[in-house]
Amino acid sequence: MQQAMLNTTELLAIPGIPLAASLTVGLFGWALKERLSHSICIAGVVAAAALSVHVFLQVLDGASFHGNFWTWMISDSFVVPVGMLIDRLTAIMMVTVTIVSACVHVYTIGYMHGDPGYTRFFSYISGFTFSMLVLVMGNNFFTLFFGWEAVGLVSYLLIGFWFKRESANFAAMKAFIVNRVGDFGFAIGILAIWYYFGSVEYKDVFAAVPAFVGQGHSLHLLGWQMDAITFICVALFIGAMGKSAQVPLHVWLPDSMEGPTPISALIHAATMVTAGIFMVARCSPMFEYSETALAMVTVVGAITAWMCATIGLVQNDIKRVIAYSTCSQLGYMFVACGVSAYSVGIFHLMTHAYFKALLFLAAGSVIHAVMADQDIRRMGRLRKYMPLTYVTMLIGSLALAGVPPFAGFWSKDLIIEAAAERHMGWASEFAYWCVLSGVFMTAFYTFRMFFLTFHNSDRVPARTKAHLHESPKVITVPLMVLAVGAMLAGWWGAEVLHIADPEVANNYFKDAIFVFDAHNPLIAIAEESQEHAWYHFLFTAPFWLAMSGIGLAWFMYYRETEYPARLGAAFPGVHRFLENKWWFDELNWKLFVLPARWLGTQLWKKADLAVIDKGIIHGGVIGGIVAGMRAMRAAQTGLVYHYAFAMVIGVFAALTWLVWKG
Amino acid sequence: MAAYHADDMLAWMLGDAGRGAVMTTFPMPNIAPLIPEMVVAAAAMAILLWDLFLPRERKHWSAWAAMITCAGALALTLKLAAGGPAQAFYGYFTLDAFAVYAKLLIYGGTILAVVLSMDYMKGEPHTGEYYSLLLFGTLGMTLMASAPNFVTMYLGLELMALCTYVLVGYQRDVLRSSEAALKYFILGSLASGVLLYGISFVYGVSGSFDFAAAGQAIAHAGPDARLAVMLALVFLLAGLCFKVSVAPFHMWTPDAYEGAPTPITAFMSIGPKVAGLVVFIRVLDDVLPGLKADYTTILSWLAVLTMAVGNLAAIGQRNIKRMLAYSTIGHIGFVMLGLIAANADGYAGVLVYLTVYLFMNMGAFAIIILMRREGIQGELLDDFAGLGRVRPGYALAMTLFLFSLAGIPFLGGFWAKYVVFIAAVEAGHLYLALIALLFSAVGAFYYIRVVKYIYFDEERVAFNFIENPLMQATVAVTAIAVVALGLFPGPMIAICKSAIAGVI
Repeated sequence: MQQAMLNTTELLAIPGIPLAASLTVGLFGWALKERLSHSICIAGVVAAAALSVHVFLQVLDGASFHGNFWTWMISDSFVVPVGMLIDRLTAIMMVTVTIVSACVHVYTIGYMHGDPGYTRFFSYISGFTFSMLVLVMGNNFFTLFFGWEAVGLVSYLLIGFWFKRESANFAAMKAFIVNRVGDFGFAIGILAIWYYFGSVEYKDVFAAVPAFVGQGHSLHLLGWQMDAITFICVALFIGAMGKSAQVPLHVWLPDSMEGPTPISALIHAATMVTAGIFMVARCSPMFEYSETALAMVTVVGAITAWMCATIGLVQNDIKRVIAYSTCSQLGYMFVACGVSAYSVGIFHLMTHAYFKALLFLAAGSVIHAVMADQDIRRMGRLRKYMPLTYVTMLIGSLALAGVPPFAGFWSKDLIIEAAAERHMGWASEFAYWCVLSGVFMTAFYTFRMFFLTFHNSDRVPARTKAHLHESPKVITVPLMVLAVGAMLAGWWGAEVLHIADPEVANNYFKDAIFVFDAHNPLIAIAEESQEHAWYHFLFTAPFWLAMSGIGLAWFMYYRETEYPARLGAAFPGVHRFLENKWWFDELNWKLFVLPARWLGTQLWKKADLAVIDKGIIHGGVIGGIVAGMRAMRAAQTGLVYHYAFAMVIGVFAALTWLVWKG
Repeated sequence: MAAYHADDMLAWMLGDAGRGAVMTTFPMPNIAPLIPEMVVAAAAMAILLWDLFLPRERKHWSAWAAMITCAGALALTLKLAAGGPAQAFYGYFTLDAFAVYAKLLIYGGTILAVVLSMDYMKGEPHTGEYYSLLLFGTLGMTLMASAPNFVTMYLGLELMALCTYVLVGYQRDVLRSSEAALKYFILGSLASGVLLYGISFVYGVSGSFDFAAAGQAIAHAGPDARLAVMLALVFLLAGLCFKVSVAPFHMWTPDAYEGAPTPITAFMSIGPKVAGLVVFIRVLDDVLPGLKADYTTILSWLAVLTMAVGNLAAIGQRNIKRMLAYSTIGHIGFVMLGLIAANADGYAGVLVYLTVYLFMNMGAFAIIILMRREGIQGELLDDFAGLGRVRPGYALAMTLFLFSLAGIPFLGGFWAKYVVFIAAVEAGHLYLALIALLFSAVGAFYYIRVVKYIYFDEERVAFNFIENPLMQATVAVTAIAVVALGLFPGPMIAICKSAIAGVI
């Protein structure tokens, strides 16, 4: 197959157009007014989406691209190029990002209508699209880092979008600071890569990995002997934990729901938070060489998948339920990567992007209808008011719960099978049970939310009742587009692209992802599935777990609606534990926030205010200046003979000095 | 000395057509380089007479005449300068690149001062004498700029000084104005006496009034002449320091600035300083080259004192004219770093500083004059409160001028400071440059405080602006110049260096 090169101009236009739109609207939004602003941004992102699809089709035909456009900086041997690497991994990310972004852009017209920050919001989300595209399209670790930080910045700006709300500012800071922890690890990982490999380009680094591992580099860290490659992978993964909200750095994601719902869908569900999974998949040629790092990825992902699912069981804020579900699903994706089924991780990333964006946008539609109330305890029986939202949300929920043939079923099922097939000791064993039991909880909390919102008893306050209505077309049309994705993305990925089937010669990821055959659980899965009929899922545990989760939710929130309260009362400890999110926030607050605040306050009040401001500045410097000023003013008496006297003194002083000097 | 002939002179004036038509030849000093000055003198006298016949509503024609005179004299000067350096009156007048550049600044300052005066003087009865005094003062300055000789220098200096005394006291019925003029006159006379005394010692030691010749003689004077040389040095420095407001010879400055009509304050803050500094540089470089160690030390102490006085006292002022008077003193303190460096870079730095200062200071004064309210100029700092809301354009321009005066990059004022500071550091005066840096930080306070009034305070009294397109254009042009010089300082610095290159 010939390796056709992609068109450079086209590739540059894909991130360039949203950037131009973002800058135009950001700088001149006040003059462009709302209509023109959103038209520019939507046109920009739709163009980027169209070009991305075009690139994707070319990539399917075997085209690719690798090249540097210019050099950002050179410092001795440290060279930072700016370039792009377009392969199948990049292409699927580009398509996912731009399509979801386009849907969210359109949706925003309806959702943010009348908001004073309307044009600012459009500028931000277009800027986000640009940043995310840079993140996925770069050909080296520095463009990755640039995109990584840029999406973090936009995320910060958008969480704190309603900056007059104190809770929004708090959540934005929390997201930013927690991400700092992860990014610290990430930066160390990149620096270590440069230190060991002398380059930051993927191509050079990945080519050098096998020889590097062969040389057995190791380093001592805090008394530990560690493979250099493990160190690098673990450091990079810590960055991924921050960005992709893995335990214990997951605490920022639920709070990020303070931001407007469209960005919850775009940034905090479909795209930005999946950057960590993308990065691990991109670095598969490194992670494959470190069993330790893979085990860590698996275990952290499994813990997150399970734990966040338990928290999701009892949340009452519609967006928080979905947010915890996002954390949990991100855990699934990491489990897939950890068990060397990177392609399945990316597959789930893609399907998740569609159905989770759909769920968020549908939730936003509901929130819009009930006048910005997010508490599902004050909803119920909304079905008759908003049928379109109801249907699309049902599709999203079925996809999330993993009911065939919806998108989530295809990818999630593969993750569980992969965890079962990959034998890497207790880590994969543990992960298997976590993700398996997670299926039940996922189905339960999804449908709990669904039934409480659309069925159950009517608990909508009378005040909002008059306002209930189906959302306008700009909101429902993106829902329907995403619903199509949530229905078909799984089947399309598995049966058309053969994303996770190494037995098929032209399987989607054949070049972009590197896996040792010995590690690859997909080979065994593919062999087994040869023998299975299409209705094989009827004989698997995940399917029945999902069904029973939905059934239990139906029973508790549709039929016997007084049952949940009784259950909560029966196990008050468990309920409180889950409702307080395993007390993670309280732990962080006591362990990190309070001591840091104490230290900051001490430095501020004792060191800055008392010593520097009061002592040095006001006492010494300002005091001296004021005294000097008074003296100067006193000398200016206004009496002419004083002035003359000053001149005479000046002359005599100079003369005296000269004579004395000789 | 080359003998020039009258027909050459006329031929120059009439062009080639005139050559041959005049047959008479008689020896005559070369007066060609002096033609611009002669034009100014003639125009000044003509305006004085002409104005008497102008009806009151056309008095502003005198202003236009003064402006055209300056522009014409400037054009003539530049045309003469194209022929290279020239001398006139047997070496009593020189027209080198240095003098030409100084005259560019002097005429520019006078033109701007006339623009600022036009509205201010509206309805005044004696505009003729006002503008003719301005022109005579300008004439004195241009003579100073071209003086290679103590006689010419003193002539120019006294002509300039006498005109400014009168102009400061122009508003005879305002007590403050008369008082300022009288103080300025008494102290100015004292300074003139001191300067003359210094010149007499120079003449006593060298037997010459010519800068270069006197410098030669002083350099070769024996040890028994040391005392006389020291007296000459100190008295010369003291007299010159008075003219450019160096502490402790500065004390007339705040009173005179405050008492003078505002356009005159603007006028005094540029032209006389340029002329004084040109003389200063010529005296230091030509007359006192052998005493470099002595005068740099004395000037260093005076510079520190000047910076301290200017920047510290300005903080305590409520009147913006007084504040700008102290600001001038502070800036002179910075300019002195260029004198102390005592090399081509330092002197070029002085010219750069004065060039930028012309624009930023004139712009600031233009704003002050534009802010007339209820017949009184916007003189108090409080008067600027709320300007940002009422007139964003003026507010922005004033902010640019103030930031430039404070030396914020990348405005002209930053490069002005940068050039002299670097010159001082490279000449080995690191500590002086550090002190100057500290004082410019102090100085930033009182400039930026005005910006705070402009943008952050509520308007107190209703503004009452002069709507004069010419002055508004002046504000725009000076503001653009401050920004342009800040962004592209290269050409200006290169021109200043070449202006100095031929002299040192």
